[in-house]
Amino acid sequence: MKLRTAIPQVKGLQHLVESMQLQSGLGKRYLLDMPMLYQAEEINRELDLVTRAYSILSGKKAGLISKIQTKLMQVRDIKGSVKNMKANLVLDDIELFEIKSFALVSDEILKLQNEFESTLMEIPDLNPMISILDPENNRIPSFYIYDSYSDELATVRKEIKELKAAIKADPETGDGQPLDDLLCQAEAIEADVRAQVCERLYPYATDLEKALNQIAHLDVIVAKALLAENLGFTRARLSDSTTEYKGMFHPQIKETLALSKRKFQAIDIALNQSVCFITGANMAGKTVILKTLALCQYLLQFGFFVPAQSARIALVDRILVSVGDDQSEQNGLSSFASEMVKINEMVEASIKKENVLILVDELARTTNPTEGRAIVNAVAEIFNENQTQSVITTHYSGLDSRCRKLRVKGLDKDFKSGEINKNNINDYMDYSLIEDDASSVPHEALRIAGILGINQQIIAKANKNLLKPDSIFCRENQSCEA
Amino acid sequence: MPFIKEIEKYKSLSIVGLEKNTGKTECLNYVLSRLSGSTKQIALTSIGVDGENTDIVTQTHKPEIEVYEGMIFVTSELHYHKKNLIAEVLDVSTQTTSLGRLVTARAKSSDKVMISGPANNAAIKDLISQMRNFDVDLTLVDGALSRKSLGSPAVTDAMILATGAALSANIPQLVYKTNYIYDLINLEAVEDELKECLLPIQKGIWAISDRDELVDLEIESVLLIEKAKDKLFTKGNRIFVNGAITDKFLNFLRVQKQIKEIEIIVRDFTRIFASPETYYAFIKRGGRIKVLQKTKLIAVCINPVSPDGYCLNSDELKQAMEEKLKLPVYDVRKLNKN
Repeated sequence: MKLRTAIPQVKGLQHLVESMQLQSGLGKRYLLDMPMLYQAEEINRELDLVTRAYSILSGKKAGLISKIQTKLMQVRDIKGSVKNMKANLVLDDIELFEIKSFALVSDEILKLQNEFESTLMEIPDLNPMISILDPENNRIPSFYIYDSYSDELATVRKEIKELKAAIKADPETGDGQPLDDLLCQAEAIEADVRAQVCERLYPYATDLEKALNQIAHLDVIVAKALLAENLGFTRARLSDSTTEYKGMFHPQIKETLALSKRKFQAIDIALNQSVCFITGANMAGKTVILKTLALCQYLLQFGFFVPAQSARIALVDRILVSVGDDQSEQNGLSSFASEMVKINEMVEASIKKENVLILVDELARTTNPTEGRAIVNAVAEIFNENQTQSVITTHYSGLDSRCRKLRVKGLDKDFKSGEINKNNINDYMDYSLIEDDASSVPHEALRIAGILGINQQIIAKANKNLLKPDSIFCRENQSCEA
Repeated sequence: MPFIKEIEKYKSLSIVGLEKNTGKTECLNYVLSRLSGSTKQIALTSIGVDGENTDIVTQTHKPEIEVYEGMIFVTSELHYHKKNLIAEVLDVSTQTTSLGRLVTARAKSSDKVMISGPANNAAIKDLISQMRNFDVDLTLVDGALSRKSLGSPAVTDAMILATGAALSANIPQLVYKTNYIYDLINLEAVEDELKECLLPIQKGIWAISDRDELVDLEIESVLLIEKAKDKLFTKGNRIFVNGAITDKFLNFLRVQKQIKEIEIIVRDFTRIFASPETYYAFIKRGGRIKVLQKTKLIAVCINPVSPDGYCLNSDELKQAMEEKLKLPVYDVRKLNKN
């Protein structure tokens, strides 16, 4: 999977990629075409590079990075010219100009990198190409078929100039078209010279291609390091068994909160090779936890640092997410049907014992609670049996007692009435997770609805309903007791 | 050496023909030939496509543009490959036009070149400012006025107007029409502060309230003004119109009772498509029009020959024009002969 295809699958990823300070179109394309990495050594190799750039940023030579960025800004994508070169075609002046100016920038970046203790990114030396394209040794990014390529050309050009001057003085000198003949001659020599120049360049095509690639990669590495520095990301360690985050946060939400001078409460979470339920009141951030878990996993496997204080992450082959905010109507499926299609895919992956990370938000919430709870427990059982790393959030009570449960603390302190309203409820919410072995889940929906300022009639009537002997609430408790 | 000294005072200059065959290219060639001796670094580009060998519309002979050694020119990839002169590539744009990317090159010999350039205002402005990277002192822009173009020559600091028998074969009529354009070019510019606010707005019709607040009137275009007459003056009498000013619009404004308070703001003079009669009637009633971008007209060139063979008396035309415009007027063909 390429990053390009992963972006639409996780919401936060798009935002992060857009906020990266990539300097060249080349770098942007390289980033979007990056494959998802599944091998620990590949990931570590990429992360090592980001770490190097990251440490340079906080060191004395940080200025060099911005110098390199300025140079990266001048880099143009010359893949077309490289392709023509590899096919041994004769290039035109514009293509030769592009190659020359790229080679010059590449050389400058190479020199800037030499000032680091060790080179960040190996770039082939393109000086042999530069000297072919710069016969007058000006080191200026400009190109034409210079006189110095061929004495013959220089002579003809001189003759043309003289003849033109003569014709201007006396138009009859131009009779018999001597000028056209000379122009033709000059053009033929230019074509020859161009072919020769290209012939001399062909052996370096591979070097050029490599340089192009490495410079694009360098752009990406620097942008990744800057992203990590700006947003407080950290390098995750790779784990063979369990995934564990300390101080995990969602970068986009944190940013939005920071704009209104509020803080995002980072959370700690540990997963193991089985199912894990997350319960908690409404507005307690359960969905955000799932989204952040998916985001972190993708970030790691595309060679990024992750938004957490520290993290140990197990690699997976696939990330399967069901967060019910996609447009299922377009496929002609009801929200329940489209959810079930997704769950089916997850369960099949689980049965095949694939190495996946499964994240499900409020499983079976769009059907009746009796059957819903039965579905939740069935799916959880399958994940448990097959030791599939999975997280399911739910509001249902009566969950399979063999499964691990985490609960968001929520509003568990005592508050004066009227102290909380819908504007400050987020400040009172405790988003941290605690292990929970109770079989029932928090019943705070009405309390939160009240805080949100919902019409009092609803709350009063709903509370009354709960007290009726045949209410779901009572039945639920009875069934649990039974 | 008429008006060349004046030209050198500016950073950018456009040469604009009021009609096809009014001698714009000849005028440009004249300016280029005189500037070829200058110590200043000159750059040349065009709004949209220009420099065809024969004029496609009228099939008349059309002189190509002569670029002199040392000058910088910007043209599309397609036209660059067709050039005869020797030129050193300095830059290739990242954006593409309909004729390929734009190539910036320095002429290493003198010859004729086909010049084409960016087609919209922002791109021309960018291009002119990028020319600083090549130490360019003066950028010449081959402008278009009668053509349907998004690019307006008003983005340059100064302008030369080419007019002639192709526009009208009757001297008083020709002077009247040219004078109208002259009046439009001289429309007053809005204050800088307001200009900065309005420049980025690309769409719609906006009112500027008495407290200098901008209000979108949510009218798509003045062409739809019939349907939204009632909305127009709800927020104030200063109106910024993004699109074209038509006869219909001015005639509508002319009959309003608060006509003396009405002030219309347009992007530049090329957005006024109204006939001179309507425009002058609007002004006579007390209406006002201001522009965001103002350019300085430094000379008028005349071509007394029309494509259908009609030939006006050059001296008579020159005199009549000078009297009316109070501006230097030249017949470029005569200048070349001297």
